[in-house]
Amino acid sequence: MLPSYFEFYNPVKIVSGHKALDNLPYELSQMGVARPLIVTDKGVVGAGLIQIVQEAFGSSGMTIGAIYDDVPPDSSVDVVNAIADVYRANGCDGLVAVGGGSPIDTAKGVNIVVSHDKGELKDYMGADRLTGPLKPLVVVPTTAGTGSEVTLVAVIADTRKNVKMAFVSRHLLPDLALIDPRMTLTMPAKITAATGMDALSHAMEAYTCLQKNPLSDAHATAAISLISRYLPLAVEDRKNATARLALANASCMAGAAFSNSMVGMVHALGHATGAVCHIPHGVAMGIFLPHGLAYNLPERAEIIGELLLPLRGAEIYAATPPKSRPERLLESLSSLQKALESKAGLPMRLKDAGAREDQLGEIALKAINDGALMMNPREMDIEDAKAVLKNAF
Amino acid sequence: MKKVYEPLKPGRKWFKELVAHVVFFVLGRAFQSAAKLDAGIRREVAEWEEGFTLAMCILPKGPSMLLKKVDGRIRYAGWAKEDADLIIRFKNIESAFLVLTPQMGSARAFAENRLSLVGDVARSMSFVRCLDRLLAYLYPAFICRPLVKRMPPVLRPIRRRLYIYTLGIPFGL
Repeated sequence: MLPSYFEFYNPVKIVSGHKALDNLPYELSQMGVARPLIVTDKGVVGAGLIQIVQEAFGSSGMTIGAIYDDVPPDSSVDVVNAIADVYRANGCDGLVAVGGGSPIDTAKGVNIVVSHDKGELKDYMGADRLTGPLKPLVVVPTTAGTGSEVTLVAVIADTRKNVKMAFVSRHLLPDLALIDPRMTLTMPAKITAATGMDALSHAMEAYTCLQKNPLSDAHATAAISLISRYLPLAVEDRKNATARLALANASCMAGAAFSNSMVGMVHALGHATGAVCHIPHGVAMGIFLPHGLAYNLPERAEIIGELLLPLRGAEIYAATPPKSRPERLLESLSSLQKALESKAGLPMRLKDAGAREDQLGEIALKAINDGALMMNPREMDIEDAKAVLKNAF
Repeated sequence: MKKVYEPLKPGRKWFKELVAHVVFFVLGRAFQSAAKLDAGIRREVAEWEEGFTLAMCILPKGPSMLLKKVDGRIRYAGWAKEDADLIIRFKNIESAFLVLTPQMGSARAFAENRLSLVGDVARSMSFVRCLDRLLAYLYPAFICRPLVKRMPPVLRPIRRRLYIYTLGIPFGL
C-alpha cells in the first residue's frame, strides 16, 4: 500500500558492530566535542558497562567532563536540572547517554536545558516547541528495545506535580547512535524478552498504523525478521554476541520505523498501563501486541497478514493462503509469547504482570488520551479500550 | 541582451484564504454551540482547565481561530492573535483547504504530516474527539463518514444541525 503522501526523517548516524564503542572518541571529535558528560544509571555501572565506555576513551587524548551515574528508573525534572548543573560546572560541551530509556530520555532533557540560556524544561513541553539545534548527543543503548537512539521523543516526569511531560521535536534526535553488542550481553533473560517484544511492537505497529510508508516499512520488516530469528536465541544463550548485535540492530531499525510512522493502540495501552500499574513498558508491549493487532484486524487484515513473511519466513508465508495469514500471524505471536513466558518468565496476561482488575478503567481513560492512538487505524473509545484490557487481563 | 534576474513575490491565494476565514468562523461558532448541546463534547471540555486556549491557524500568518474556556464553557474568541496553550497549525494553505472544505479528516491530515502540533498531545486527543462529534452535527453521514475513523454516536443530529446552522453559527448561541 503506497500512501499518497509521506515524510521520513532520520539524520542519526548509526555506528554498529563488535567493539563499535572504540570509535566513540573519534566520533565525538568529529562533532567538535572535547569534554563530554556521560549520563547513565547505577544498573549500567553495576553491570560493568561504564567501564567499557571509559576504556574506549583510553589513548584518545579526550577528557571525560564527568560521569553522572545516578539517573533513576523514571527520569524527572529535578534529575535533569541536577545533571545540567554538573554539565555547566565541568565545562562540558556534549552528552553521551549510556543506558536504556531513562538515561537516554534524561540526556535529551538535559540537552534541552543546557542548550537554552533561559527558561525551564517545562517551557519546551509538547510537540515542536524547540526551534534550534541542541548540543551534540551520542546515545549508547544498553537494552535492545526502546529505539530511543533514533527517536525524536523524550518523556520526563514532573514528580512534584505527578505528571509525565512529553517532548517531541526533530532536534531531540541524537547525532550518533553507537551500537555495540558488549553493552547488551549482561541483560537477564526476562529483560531481553521484554525489550525484544518492545522492539517487535514498534516494528509491527509502524507497519500497520496510519502513517506507514515504504521507508518505514523497509525498516520495520527488517527488524521483525531479525527479532523473529534472534530473540529466542538471545533468551536461551545470553552471551551470544551475534544474537545481541542482531537484536540491537533490530531495535534501532524498529525505532527509525516508528519514529517516522507512529505507533498505535498497543503503545497507548502500554503507556497507560505503565502509568497506572507501573508495569515495565516491554512487558506491557509483550502482553498487548497480539490484542492490538486482533483489534485492528477489521481495518487492516491484509496488512497484518503481510507481517507473516518477515515473522515466519518465505516458506510458511507462501504455504499460507492470503485469507489465513492474519490468523496465522496471531497464532505465531501467541507461540512466541508462550515460548518467552516459559523460557524467560515474561508474563502473557496483565494479572500475571501485577495489574489489578479495578485498575482497568483508569488505564482505559489514560489510553484514549495517549497521542499514539491518533495513528491507530481503528477508532478505540473508552468502552473498546476496557474490552481489550479485559481480554488481556 | 542579458537576462535580468529579479526577486519574485508570489501572489496570494485569495479565494482559499477567504474560504479558510469563513470555515474557521463557522467551525468556531459551531464548536461553541455544539459544546452546549452535546454531552460527549461537554464531558471532554469539562476536563480542560479554566482559561485553556486552543488555536487553529494556517502558517505562516494565515487565517486562524481561537477557542477559550471561560466560566466552564467553551467560547469562540475570533482570530488567534495571541499564543495559545494548544496550537494546531496547518503547514500551508493547500493542506488547510483540504481539511476545512472538508475533503480530508484530521487523522489522515496528521498521518500525512499536514498539521503540526504545539502543546500538550493528550489535550489534542480530546479536541480531535470533540471535532469528530462536531463533524457529525455539521455534515450528513455520507460526508462525515470518510472524515472520521468511526461515526460518533450523536443524538438528534438533524435537529441539532438545524439549531447550529440557524442559531449557533449566526448568533453564537
